[in-house]
Amino acid sequence: MQTFFFIAFPYIALILAIGVGLYRYFSHRFTYSSLSSQLLENRHLFWGSVSWHYGITLILVAHVLPWLFPRAAAAVLGDATRLFVLELTGLALGFYCVFGIIVLIARRLPNDSRARAVTSPMDWILLLVLAFQVLSGVGIALFERWGSAWYLSTAVPWLWSLVRLHPDASTVTGLPVFIQSHLISGFVVVLLFPFTRLVHIFAIPIEYLWRPYQVVIWNRDPRQPVSSTLTTSTTVSMPTPPAPNHLDRRRLLVRFSILAGSVSAAIVGIPSIAFLLGLRKAPEVWRGLGAADSFQIGQAVEVSFLDSSPLPWSGVTARTAAWLRRESPEQFIAFAINCTHLGCPVRWLPNADLFMCPCHGGVFYKDGTVASGPPPKALVTYPVRVRDGMVEILTSPLPITSV
Amino acid sequence: MDPVRILKQIWRWFDDLTGFSQSLGPIMAHPVPKARKTRWFYVFGSATLIAFLVQVVTGIALSSAYVTGSGQAYDSLCFITSSPIGRIIRGIHYFGASAMIILIGLHTIRVYLMGAYKYPRQMNWLTGAGLLLFTLLMAFTGQLLRWDQMGFWTAVVAAEQAGRAPLIGNWLGHFLLAGNTVGGATLSRFFAAHVFFLPALMFLFIAVHLYLVIFNGISEPPKAGRPVDPRTYRRWYHSLLEREGIPFWPQAAWRDVLFGSIVVLAIFVLALVVGPPELGKPPDPTIISASPRPDWYFMWYFALLSLIPKWSERWVIILGPLVFGLFLILVPLLGSRGERSPLRRPWSILIILSVVFVIAHYWVVGIRAPWSPRLDALPLPSSVVGVADGPIAAGARVFYDKGCEYCHTISGYGGIRGPDLSDAGDRMSAAQMATRIFSGGENMPSYRGNLKPEELASLLAFLASRHRVQLPTPPALQGLARQEAAHGR
Ligand code: FES
Repeated sequence: MQTFFFIAFPYIALILAIGVGLYRYFSHRFTYSSLSSQLLENRHLFWGSVSWHYGITLILVAHVLPWLFPRAAAAVLGDATRLFVLELTGLALGFYCVFGIIVLIARRLPNDSRARAVTSPMDWILLLVLAFQVLSGVGIALFERWGSAWYLSTAVPWLWSLVRLHPDASTVTGLPVFIQSHLISGFVVVLLFPFTRLVHIFAIPIEYLWRPYQVVIWNRDPRQPVSSTLTTSTTVSMPTPPAPNHLDRRRLLVRFSILAGSVSAAIVGIPSIAFLLGLRKAPEVWRGLGAADSFQIGQAVEVSFLDSSPLPWSGVTARTAAWLRRESPEQFIAFAINCTHLGCPVRWLPNADLFMCPCHGGVFYKDGTVASGPPPKALVTYPVRVRDGMVEILTSPLPITSV
Repeated sequence: MDPVRILKQIWRWFDDLTGFSQSLGPIMAHPVPKARKTRWFYVFGSATLIAFLVQVVTGIALSSAYVTGSGQAYDSLCFITSSPIGRIIRGIHYFGASAMIILIGLHTIRVYLMGAYKYPRQMNWLTGAGLLLFTLLMAFTGQLLRWDQMGFWTAVVAAEQAGRAPLIGNWLGHFLLAGNTVGGATLSRFFAAHVFFLPALMFLFIAVHLYLVIFNGISEPPKAGRPVDPRTYRRWYHSLLEREGIPFWPQAAWRDVLFGSIVVLAIFVLALVVGPPELGKPPDPTIISASPRPDWYFMWYFALLSLIPKWSERWVIILGPLVFGLFLILVPLLGSRGERSPLRRPWSILIILSVVFVIAHYWVVGIRAPWSPRLDALPLPSSVVGVADGPIAAGARVFYDKGCEYCHTISGYGGIRGPDLSDAGDRMSAAQMATRIFSGGENMPSYRGNLKPEELASLLAFLASRHRVQLPTPPALQGLARQEAAHGR
C-alpha cells in the first residue's frame, strides 16, 4: 500500500497531469483560466482571493526552495532563532490561506449565490482537496513542530528519489499517517491540475509587466449596482464552440500527432539524458599508504592509492597519486598532484623544497602556497590521518579550480 | 557474354526499380556558374567531405579492434599499432584528421573572403559553422581516445578548463570526467561522443549543408561593384545560370575529384612514411613525470592560454570560445547583403590575415613552449662551469639543485622561461642578484629562507663568474687583422 501511495501514485499523478495538461493546451487553449466570477461579488472575492493567492504562493515557494536547495536550507535552518521565525511566519501564512479558502468556499455556498452558478462539480472537489491540504498543513505546523527542519530529511529525499527515477520511500514510510496524508493529497492536487481550473497557474499574466498600459474607463458608475439581467447574461454566456468542421478535425489530428510524437520522444529521451547526466557519486573512503615510520620527516614523496570505487575495467586509471610529506612524527600533509592552474601533475624538487608544474611553470612552496606563475591558488590538500601506525588518506574528487 | 553489357543491364534493371537516374541525375548535373580564375578555390569544401569520409571508414576499422575501457584501451591501441595494416589505418586516421582540420579552415576562409555567406546562403554558412565546431570537438576527443599519458592528461585539462565556467564549472568538470576522478567511466564517455554523438550530428549537418548547396546554388565568383540585393538576387542568379551555367557533373566536379584524390593520396603517403603518432606512456595517473601537450591543431591555443596575462585567463577560457562562436553566427546575420568582393571588404582581409597570423605565431611559440620549465635539464657540464671545485663549482651545483636551471639558460643549457643568465656577471652586481633571488617575482619563486648563507655565497660567486664569452676570432679574420695592423691603421 505504501509502495502504491508513495511510489506509483506520484508518477501516475504526474504523467496524467502532464499528458492531459498538454492535451488541453493543444486542443482547448482558451479554457486555460479560472472562469471569471469577478463581477459577481466584489467584496468577498477580494478578501478570499487575495489572502488565498498570496498566502499559497509564498507557502509553495517555502516548500519548493528547500526541495531544490536542501543544503542551503539546512544551513539557514541550522540556527534556532531563524528556524523559529520561519516556522512562525509559515504558520501565519497558513492561517491566512485557511481564511482565504474558507471565504472562497463560503461565497459559493448560498443557494442563490451567483458564484454557485458557475461552480462545477470539479471545482467543488478541488476546493475540498485544497482546503484539506492547507488545514493538514496548518495542523502539522501546530502539532508536529519544526516541520521546516524535518522536511529536509524526510520528504525531500523521497521527492528527489522520484525525480531521479530511483524511487525510495523509506524516508517517509515511518511518518505519522497525518503527515503522510498531507504528502499524498499534495499529489492529488497535482493530479487534479489539468482537470480543473488550476491550470490557470500557467497563465499568470506576467506580460502585464511589459505590455503598454491601458486606461480602464468605466462606462457606468462602479458604485451603482449592476442590473442583474446584465450580470447573468455576461457571466453565464460561454464562448460558443465553433461548429465542428473539416479544418477543426485537421487541426486536431496535427496536434494529436505532435503530442504523441513528443510524448514518445520524451519517454525515450528523458531516461537517456538522465542516465548521461547521472554522476557516479563515489563514497569517500580511507586508504592505507604505509607505515608512518617509513616516511622521512620533511620530504615529500609520491604515494599512490586506489580511488574510492574503481570499476572492474578501470585498470591503471583507478589509481590516484598524491604528494605526502611527514611534517613531524605525528603530522602528515598530503597535496593533490594536480596544479591548480589547469591540472597538470606538479613535481617535487627535493633539493629546492618546491613543487614545479611542467605545463606553464607554476611553482608552489613546500606548504603548497603559490610561489610564482599562473596558478590562482594553493595546492589542494587531501585529509590524512595516522591509525595504528599506518598513514591513511581520504579519497577525494579530482580538484577542479572554479571561479 | 560481354561483362560490360551485363553490368549495364544490371544497372538498367536497378535504375528502373529505383528511378535514381531520374531523381538524382538532374541534381548531379545541376548548372553551376563558371568560376573562371577562381575555379580551384571551390575544391576545399568537397575535399573536407572526402577527408570526413576517410575518417568514417578508417574510424569504423579502428573501432572494430579498439577496446573502450579505461584499463584496456591503451593495450588495444598497442595491439592495433603492432599489426602493419593497423599501423597504416591509425596513420590514415591521424593525417585524415589533420587534413580535415586544414581543409575546413581553408574552406571557411574561402567562403568568408568571397562573401559567399551573403543572401541567400546564410544557412549554408551557419550549418558550416556547426560543422567547424564539431570538427574541432572531434579532433579534441580523438586526441583523447589515444588514451596514453597525453590522452589521460588531456581529459584532466579539459575538465579544468570546463571548471572555469561560472556557477556550473565544478559540476561540468566532473560531468566530463563522468565521476569524481578520471576512471573507468571517463573514456567511455569520450568514446560515445567521438564515435556516435558527434558523427551523428555531423552526418545530419552535412546532409542539410549539401541540400542547401543545391537549393541555393553554388555562389558565383564575386565581382567588385556587384553587390547582393536580396530582392533581385535569386532572379539574377538564375538568369546567370541560364546564360552561362555549366553542368556540375562532370564539368565542374572533376576538379573536386582530382583535388580530393590528391588529398587522399597525400594522407596515405604520410601515413605510410611518417606513421601514426607514437603512443606515450600508459595512462597511469601515478606516473607524474608527464608534460601534457596538445596535438598540433590545438598547440596555438595552448600557447595562447599560457601567454595571456594571468588576470585575463578566467575570462579568455570561457569567453574566447563564446566570442568566436558568436562571431561565426553574426557574420551572415549582420552582413547578409552588399558587396561580396574582398576588394571592397578590406576588413575581411584584415581579419583573416590577423587570425592566420595569430594562430601561426602562437603555434610556432607553442612548439618552443618557452613558459614550460625544462624539468629534464641536466647539471651543467664542467666545460661550462669552468672550474672543477671551489665556490664557483659549488655554486653551479646549487644553481642546479635549487631548480634555477629549469628556467634559466646558461651557455645553452637549461630552460628558457626566465632570463638567460649566461652573462649575468656582466649585467648585475652581487647585491642586485641577491635581491632578486630573495624577493622573487611574478614568475620566479622567492628563495628567502630556502638558501643557507654558504649556498647563497657560492651561488652568487658562480653567477658573478658568468661573462659574455669572447668568441675566438676565426683564423681567416685573424690574418686580416694582422694585415690591417701592419698597414698601420
Ligand atoms: S597547469 Fe600548472 S602552471 Fe599551468
